[in-house]
Amino acid sequence: MTLKHASFIARTVFVKNNDVEAACRVLNRILGREDILDQFRRTRYFEKPFQFRRRINFEKCKSIYNEDMDRKIQFVLRKNRTDPFPGSS
Amino acid sequence: MTAANQLYSVFRNLVISNSNPTNVRTLFTATTRFREVVDRKEMLKTVPKLDEGTQGEQSVDIDYSMNKHELFPTIDTPNKLFNGVPFKDIPVFNIRVSKNNTILSLTDAKGTPKLIRSCGIEGFKNTRKGTNIAAQATAITIGSKAFEQGYKTVRVRVRGLGPGRMAAIKGLQMTGLQIISITDSTRVSWTPPRPRKQRKL
Repeated sequence: MTLKHASFIARTVFVKNNDVEAACRVLNRILGREDILDQFRRTRYFEKPFQFRRRINFEKCKSIYNEDMDRKIQFVLRKNRTDPFPGSS
Repeated sequence: MTAANQLYSVFRNLVISNSNPTNVRTLFTATTRFREVVDRKEMLKTVPKLDEGTQGEQSVDIDYSMNKHELFPTIDTPNKLFNGVPFKDIPVFNIRVSKNNTILSLTDAKGTPKLIRSCGIEGFKNTRKGTNIAAQATAITIGSKAFEQGYKTVRVRVRGLGPGRMAAIKGLQMTGLQIISITDSTRVSWTPPRPRKQRKL
């Protein structure tokens, strides 16, 4: 048995306490996060080169923006101050 | 001329018989304005998105309560016992979901088909096949049949996206079958052959 993508090992979630919906949600979230569902939807129809270019450019811009915004948030939330809550005591 | 008169009298009768005892023709001023499509793209935006059975895809919440070690299979999973049967020998419910149909089939662990049922066989035709209600009804039918034949615990394998994705699994559960695992086997490739051209909307 090749373990790389063995069926019923890969992309499998166990159902706990007969709660099928929760298991489905976990599975769907993972598939969505890993870009599997998006790739599936994208490959239903041919993506023309101009669409591909635009999508890639958009994703690039988005990731740059997200990275910057994360840094900004981390900067605002930094906590290594001598008085962690100035003016409150 | 007579035909026009007849048509007019029929129309009047209709109007009167419907809900107008005062003999006054109702004027509909607003309907035409609402019916008119200003922009096709804007209209398409307002159309509700098709349910693809992927609830929870966009959610970002983290559920700490779930024990991650018990939720996902490990290398020992195939030999783990469920009601005295190892995981690898438990029959499989294959659910093939597409936009327009849902097909459920029960196979044993080797892959030999035992039962098969689709929304089309169930009696739903044309567009009604591709609804969650049809999928649930089909799942209940085949699930109860399987339950009668002595299948108590099953694994579920789902392929494809469509309205029947969640509904079919829910329907199976409603029949009393114990679903121990859900597997996604949607065929996804990052280097596919060229797909068909896009639909014109």
